[in-house]
Amino acid sequence: MTPGGLQPDSFAAYPPQARALVVEHLNVLKRMPLILLAALLRQVIQYDWSFPAEREQLVRQLNLLNQLDAASFGSLVSPFAAIPLTSELSKFDWVNHPQPFSEKLTAYLWEQHLSDNYHSVAQAYQQYLEKALPQSQPVTPRWTIVVIGRGSQQTQYSLFRHLMPQGLLFTKLDPSGALETLSAAVISRAQQHPLEYGHWYIDGGEPYSVAAEDSRLTTMSYARLVPAAKREFALLEEFTSRGASNGSVGVEAVGSYIVGLSPEDLSLKGSASDAPLRHFEVNLVTQGAGCQIFSTTFVQWAARECLHRAQPLTLFARFSTRQCNAPMEQLLTRDPLQQPQEAEGSLIDADMGAYYTWINQSRLPGADESRFLVWFEDHNLACAIAPALPKGKTYTGAITMRQVLEHMA
Amino acid sequence: MDFLRQVAQQRAVTRRDFLRSVAMTGAASQLFGFSPLHAAAMPQGQKTVVVTFGGGARDEETFAPEGQENIPHLLNELIPQATFFTQVVNRGILGHYVATASLATGVYERFDNFADVAPKNPTVFEYFRKGLNRPANDAWVIAPSNGFNRIGQSDGSLIVPGMGAQVILPKHLLASALNKTSTASAGMEFLLQDNYEDLLFTPPAVQSELGPAKLTEMLHLSVDDFAHHAQTLSSADELSVYVMRQLMKQFAPSLLWITLHDMDVAHTGAYSLYLEGIRRTDRLCADIWQMIETDPEYKGRTTMLILPDFGRDSDFSASGNGFQHHRTGDPLSRTTWMMALGPHIRQNLTVDRPLDSLDLVPTLGAMMKFATPSAKGKPIAEVLG
Repeated sequence: MTPGGLQPDSFAAYPPQARALVVEHLNVLKRMPLILLAALLRQVIQYDWSFPAEREQLVRQLNLLNQLDAASFGSLVSPFAAIPLTSELSKFDWVNHPQPFSEKLTAYLWEQHLSDNYHSVAQAYQQYLEKALPQSQPVTPRWTIVVIGRGSQQTQYSLFRHLMPQGLLFTKLDPSGALETLSAAVISRAQQHPLEYGHWYIDGGEPYSVAAEDSRLTTMSYARLVPAAKREFALLEEFTSRGASNGSVGVEAVGSYIVGLSPEDLSLKGSASDAPLRHFEVNLVTQGAGCQIFSTTFVQWAARECLHRAQPLTLFARFSTRQCNAPMEQLLTRDPLQQPQEAEGSLIDADMGAYYTWINQSRLPGADESRFLVWFEDHNLACAIAPALPKGKTYTGAITMRQVLEHMA
Repeated sequence: MDFLRQVAQQRAVTRRDFLRSVAMTGAASQLFGFSPLHAAAMPQGQKTVVVTFGGGARDEETFAPEGQENIPHLLNELIPQATFFTQVVNRGILGHYVATASLATGVYERFDNFADVAPKNPTVFEYFRKGLNRPANDAWVIAPSNGFNRIGQSDGSLIVPGMGAQVILPKHLLASALNKTSTASAGMEFLLQDNYEDLLFTPPAVQSELGPAKLTEMLHLSVDDFAHHAQTLSSADELSVYVMRQLMKQFAPSLLWITLHDMDVAHTGAYSLYLEGIRRTDRLCADIWQMIETDPEYKGRTTMLILPDFGRDSDFSASGNGFQHHRTGDPLSRTTWMMALGPHIRQNLTVDRPLDSLDLVPTLGAMMKFATPSAKGKPIAEVLG
């Protein structure tokens, strides 16, 4: 199959909305070089379970490509066509399996020392899109609140070292009632700016009930996803044992198998209306590294993916402690919620996780107006980043969480 | 690659600035032209120890100002005695086995990082043994077990087979010892940990002419003593260094290569464990140099080269996830450093010109006087004295 040979029937196995989308844009898809087309189909095949922000971006991209004149289109996509492909890759069923195709392509590009070439071509394409399709600004400035250190005591490690140059450090914050204040602020934003998948709460352990029970927030927790992660490992073990009896099982085969897992495979249940969330959860546990075994990695990775994909107006991420380290064989089989916890290490993990969350928020439209707060739970230390606040300064006076939020607004 | 060169140059400047600020004696003497030529003529019977980090480390956690607390031994003990190369660029595949194999062959190998294959091109161990007609026990590799068991010898298509290094995988050695001794294994499982790069990858079964039983016999290790001593250690890398010490005592090999791996725990996303790994590696590097300096077979005749195989992704590379992986191929993940210590190496010297990872093998060849015909790269003049 070549892109030029695509027909509506080629997408018979696609979910209904994705199929309708490709059929509508079939003419432009047929003109694309295979490498670019497969990358696009990787997103299209997930369309039915994508978040609104992802859908909008994909449709706008296809519309733009559709509207380009032949010369502009050619000059935009031809660098992809200049990257040589093997016949094995060209013959692969990239229509129905764009993700495994991408994995094979990646291995091939590394092997042939073409990955730098691919990166620069992809980057140029991305830059063109960013210029041609400026992303719409959020209806209200984005807020991200990160709470770290639940279950941890004071540490010698200098917290917020990466974030302090960007914001104002509070050293005498009154911790009493602070979690309730933050939770109420997040719920209030969801109330004022209702938006599908626009307000998130991610927790590294058992979620705080007030926030978790509010249906206006999209809530995820490590405690809830651990059974899915354990199920994933069990399925993988089954797959590799089965494969091992017929020879060895390569990394690519394992990768392809994982990509094919569904919410049902991982026993993740929910209603049809929250299918995007179920699929998002599957993506997290199947594509993330370490987020299955360490709750700190889970919160960082989930926050990153949430910001990148759902582009929420509000994100409330709360870290908890992670289990102590152990050999991988044990980490992959034991229950992480039933193990001794490593408090100080978790705090350091979470501190870096907070910094990465700020970086990821800063990549979204409206970053200049965004607000970011990180707080060491049950302690006096917080760091706030907001347009109205000074950078790299410390406020040593007594202050409540409510007042901090007011200063940030 | 212009961008890569520019970024490498920036990192070099950062590392040089940092050395200037923290290692005043060394950096200052270099700055003001008082660099001591603490080097002697290359002695006969010289030996070389290569220490690689099979888990990249970034400047942020090492040589940048905020990382200095993690590498006190490298900075305060080793750098003042070393020539420090501020930019070593790896242009190959950023997987630990294939990258380390490339370091060992002097050619960017292109095989699947997770495959059970030997390097295509002759290794430095084969060049060494063939060129200098050295016995098998004069070249050894101590490596993690995630595929590294084939690193001692190429596939034999370009050089006569059977001239490679003997490879020890300490994890396999300990696992075997634990099976044979009454020592309870409980509590020592962490020493068996050395695969992080793909958490779900099962390394191929090790096939070696040197089984664990033969190895323990060769190293004159009592199985019980080995197992008991292992109980006093805190990581897989510590076990590797312990095995290295036994190897030095028993065979005093002229070419010894050790790959440390603890810091690759970064792939789990736990930053604190990554920092712990770096700190341990920092201490172990000083321990290795101390072992060299206190062993009569090595003291005064050994060159030690320390280099990470590559870096890790930048915090600001949108397609990566910071320190966790080395998948983006961004310039920072390709740019690292090297340190050389030894009797003919100038102390307190900082070299900013860019090196290529492939320069290692021709340098070892030129230093130890054997040919490396298939290796790319160029001998590093500053190491040759």
